[in-house]
Amino acid sequence: MDVIANLMQGFAVALAPANLLWCFVGVFFGTIVGILPGLGPSATVALLLPLTFSMPPTSALIMLCGIYYGAKYGGSTTSILLNVPGESASVVTCFDGYQMAKNGRGGAALGIAAISSFVAGTFGVVALMLIAPPIASFALAFGPPEYFGLMMFGLAMVALLAGRSMVKALIALLVGLWLAQSGIDLFTDTSRFTFGRMELLDGVDFIVVAVGVFALGEVLQNIERRDAGQVLPVPKGMRNLMPTLQDLKDCRFAFLNGSVVGFLVGVLPGAGSTIASFISYGIEKAVSRHPEKFGTGVPEGVAAPEGANNAETGGALVPLLTLGIPGSGTTAVLLAALILWGFRPGPLLIAENPALFWGLVASMYVGNVLLLVMNLPLVPLFAQILRLPAYVLFPLIFGIAMVGVYSASDSVFDMWLLAFFGLLGYAMAKLDYPPAPFILGFVLGDPMERALRQSLMMSGGELTVLVSRPLSATLLAFACIILLIPLLTRLNALRLKAIEQAE
Amino acid sequence: MLRKIALWVFALSGTALAGGAAAQAYAPDRPIEFLVHTGPGGGSDVFARGAAAVLEKNKLVPQRIQITNKTGGGGLVAMSFLSEKAGQPEPVAFFTSVWYVNPLIRKEGKVTMNELTPIARLILEASVLTVRADSPFKNVKDFIEAARKNPGKLKQAGGSISGRDNNMRLLMQKATGTQWQFISFPGGGERIAALLGGHADTYVMEPSEALEHIRAGKIRVIAAVMDKRLAAFPDVPTLKEQGLNVPEIPQPRGVVGPPNMPANAKAYWEAVMAKMVKTPEWREFLKKDLLEDAFLTGPALQDFTKSFSQQMREILKEGGVAVVR
Repeated sequence: MDVIANLMQGFAVALAPANLLWCFVGVFFGTIVGILPGLGPSATVALLLPLTFSMPPTSALIMLCGIYYGAKYGGSTTSILLNVPGESASVVTCFDGYQMAKNGRGGAALGIAAISSFVAGTFGVVALMLIAPPIASFALAFGPPEYFGLMMFGLAMVALLAGRSMVKALIALLVGLWLAQSGIDLFTDTSRFTFGRMELLDGVDFIVVAVGVFALGEVLQNIERRDAGQVLPVPKGMRNLMPTLQDLKDCRFAFLNGSVVGFLVGVLPGAGSTIASFISYGIEKAVSRHPEKFGTGVPEGVAAPEGANNAETGGALVPLLTLGIPGSGTTAVLLAALILWGFRPGPLLIAENPALFWGLVASMYVGNVLLLVMNLPLVPLFAQILRLPAYVLFPLIFGIAMVGVYSASDSVFDMWLLAFFGLLGYAMAKLDYPPAPFILGFVLGDPMERALRQSLMMSGGELTVLVSRPLSATLLAFACIILLIPLLTRLNALRLKAIEQAE
Repeated sequence: MLRKIALWVFALSGTALAGGAAAQAYAPDRPIEFLVHTGPGGGSDVFARGAAAVLEKNKLVPQRIQITNKTGGGGLVAMSFLSEKAGQPEPVAFFTSVWYVNPLIRKEGKVTMNELTPIARLILEASVLTVRADSPFKNVKDFIEAARKNPGKLKQAGGSISGRDNNMRLLMQKATGTQWQFISFPGGGERIAALLGGHADTYVMEPSEALEHIRAGKIRVIAAVMDKRLAAFPDVPTLKEQGLNVPEIPQPRGVVGPPNMPANAKAYWEAVMAKMVKTPEWREFLKKDLLEDAFLTGPALQDFTKSFSQQMREILKEGGVAVVR
């Protein structure tokens, strides 16, 4: 078995003491970077790049990739405990993770996030190892109509995220879609909704919106309650400090869901981990026996998106290593790194540098284990953050949020935007507008519009291109099914009521 | 006694002269700041880091160099940052053609290249016209013939419509009377994926991007978009050689300083750059990345700055992009 032999060689490389150390350094830094909002893995990888010139390239790649997937582990910590998304993909973890913390089960949420990240991260590596080349060809078959189908599928999730009022959810979605248009339009090269400001030429930064609406919005709500005491109950007892066996059983499907969705979406260049976590969350809710509990703090609502954003790292490495095509911001920096180290990323990279590829794959197994070992025991420790009284916690959250956003954007204008979105988040909470569809619209708006216009350019204006290709037609069909779910459940409930009344 | 006085006068005047001369010459006394408009890992960032490495290896500058990334607005944020440092000798920024083009089309921009202080043009980036290896187009003629038979059906993947790849397309269309679609993708990765996946028929890409895919047998280069053949592709004829009489749109990269940069600082950097382009490490760097040396300073650079801005203005207007300056 070729794969086993190669993998053994890979482990020989990955378990060499020096590489083991670099792997640890990478995942450790990655976790910290993930915890801090604003500083993301792509910026960190770029910052540490000059340091790697004196290292052997395999060790350097092991370390940098360690930062990449380590950040996905760390991002969930602040999302769950403080409603501060540490990393853009962690915003979906806020939905149920923070609610679990509010219910006193913060520790369990952190534990589920760590375990799910481990399972999905390992799945991603296995898939990368076994099916990278055929999956890459599959990814190439994804053209603009298929991307549009995928985005519509993601958008259909709004039907599942709606909560009590569908109208308010749709309004929030539309506002999110509108906000995504701000900036330079790629196709006509004109600026839209920039209000004459140069800082808005690239649109509104996602991290500003997410941190503003979630973190600051939550803090403002809590301040209103004038609670001087503790914000969140400190989890007591092993049941709440760690996930129970029941929790793990409930999350069985979520682990699989997160892994598969995350990996597949990660393989597509341009579709990021945020989209993957939304889709995974939506699918989990759609197949759940108790969908109405999502948003109140169910472990599957944490396991699915967390798994998705970890499996996405394995997926994003597929086009990078098999075709030399970067699929996301961090992989673009890794591509530059590979070139700077003297490699030639392209279809022949793996064949010509087996030690590099297999050493990396083996080190990712090791890295995921290291991360699980590092994160699980720290869960009770992190949960103690909740002991902090409100008057310490809120300034802390504010401070972390502002420093994080400023460090990422280097712009005072973004600080004002952050304040604006904080107020918006507060207003939305008071008026009972759900933030999830708003963020969904904002994340999907850009790629969806682009995919639609590219498809129309390809077909010369014919809308039928979206349904004439099998893949995009299938995705659109799924989207329709998901949109019909609330209607079907309502009809079913009416039917059951009618049967009851008849008896 | 007189000799002693004479010696003192001599010594004092010597130091005065030396002090005076020191006041005239410029040398960086703090870590040097190189400004780029892309994020880490982006084109300008990698280019600037390459230049910094060559400078430091040959000890051409007395201080270490650090790269500052000011992203946003396609270079406008970096240009604005640079213009705020008017009259100062630093930072030194790395420009590309977007520094020329974007202020022309965006009213949010505040400063153009004519107000900054161009120091040196370093390279011109060539590009190559590529198709999939399994496509029926063996050269540009095949492609143009197919475009003539199926107007508006062939597709070219590329970046924004104000970019060089679309400008080349517009010039080629005008010269041959044909028409094909242009589909914008936000990143190089997605454009190559579109070409390889069959969603686009052609793509103008950088030679360094093309090499690996050619080696793997996935794509074929049908023309060099440059005034002469590229060293890396000696068998690939240029557009002109294949009968297409289109003017070449250069894609320059170089260094520029803040507005009203002190003359001695400008002279210092011009000298440093002149030395850098002669080093073997620089030549190696260009060869590896398939860049063409195009070193230009002084009045010739001034002429280039004016003529290039004008050329871009005309091309953009013809292409239907709104020009605001």
